[in-house]
Amino acid sequence: MPRDEELMSEALVRIFENVVLTEEKSLQAGYFSDLSIAEMHTLTAIGPYEARTMTKTAEDLGITTGTLTVAIDRLVRKGYVIRQRDTKDKRVVRISLTRNGKLACRMNSKFHRVLAKHILEGYAPDDREHILKLVSEVDTYIEQQLKRYDNTEDARKTAMEVANDKKSKEKA
Amino acid sequence: MMDAPDKKKKIYDDVMRILSETLELSPEDVPEDLSSYSSLPFDSLQLYEFVIDLEEEYKIKISDEALDGIKNIGDVVDLVYGLTENNG
Repeated sequence: MPRDEELMSEALVRIFENVVLTEEKSLQAGYFSDLSIAEMHTLTAIGPYEARTMTKTAEDLGITTGTLTVAIDRLVRKGYVIRQRDTKDKRVVRISLTRNGKLACRMNSKFHRVLAKHILEGYAPDDREHILKLVSEVDTYIEQQLKRYDNTEDARKTAMEVANDKKSKEKA
Repeated sequence: MMDAPDKKKKIYDDVMRILSETLELSPEDVPEDLSSYSSLPFDSLQLYEFVIDLEEEYKIKISDEALDGIKNIGDVVDLVYGLTENNG
């Protein structure tokens, strides 16, 4: 593999792993040590404001409503989430954050903002703009790859296509 | 309907009440100047407790970007005033 690709590949994997690891350690050391990273992401998906449906939240997290139900049960017990039936349609269950849930959610987004702030603060405005453009392009590309697996019954087949770089070459 | 000075006075009173409750300080001990984060008698958790209580009191959403511009109590009052005006 050419050196550029190797460096990029290693950096991508390391950034992903280290962001998650740093987040996990900051959680353990902070006020919300009873929350796992996955639980924190569930709180973030619900958000600090309007109540949301189970279906939409599961969709955003890319999990089934069954899996979300188990996670929400635990978060309700820990005092971070409130679950209520819709007043008009009893079949619909809405979830929202308690005050503690809102606090955890906002502290977590602060963590991400501080991380981003510290990464960017050493750069001049033009360089920042350039970095943000490049990061956004990488983000868009990876999101496109992820979308290829959506609504795909045979993930293994799609994975092989991604590995063989078929569709991306066809599109290009 | 309250005019602008009355409304701002009410917001100021609410801000001071919520801040003093969050910080467990008497209102006269709440600092007016919020610009030097390190000198403030509260941590980021308490800051967000204050923000969440303020959001619930006024049914508004205060973004982190908006918080970045806060330097004193007057800025908080102006921010809440602006957000409630936008809500109608």
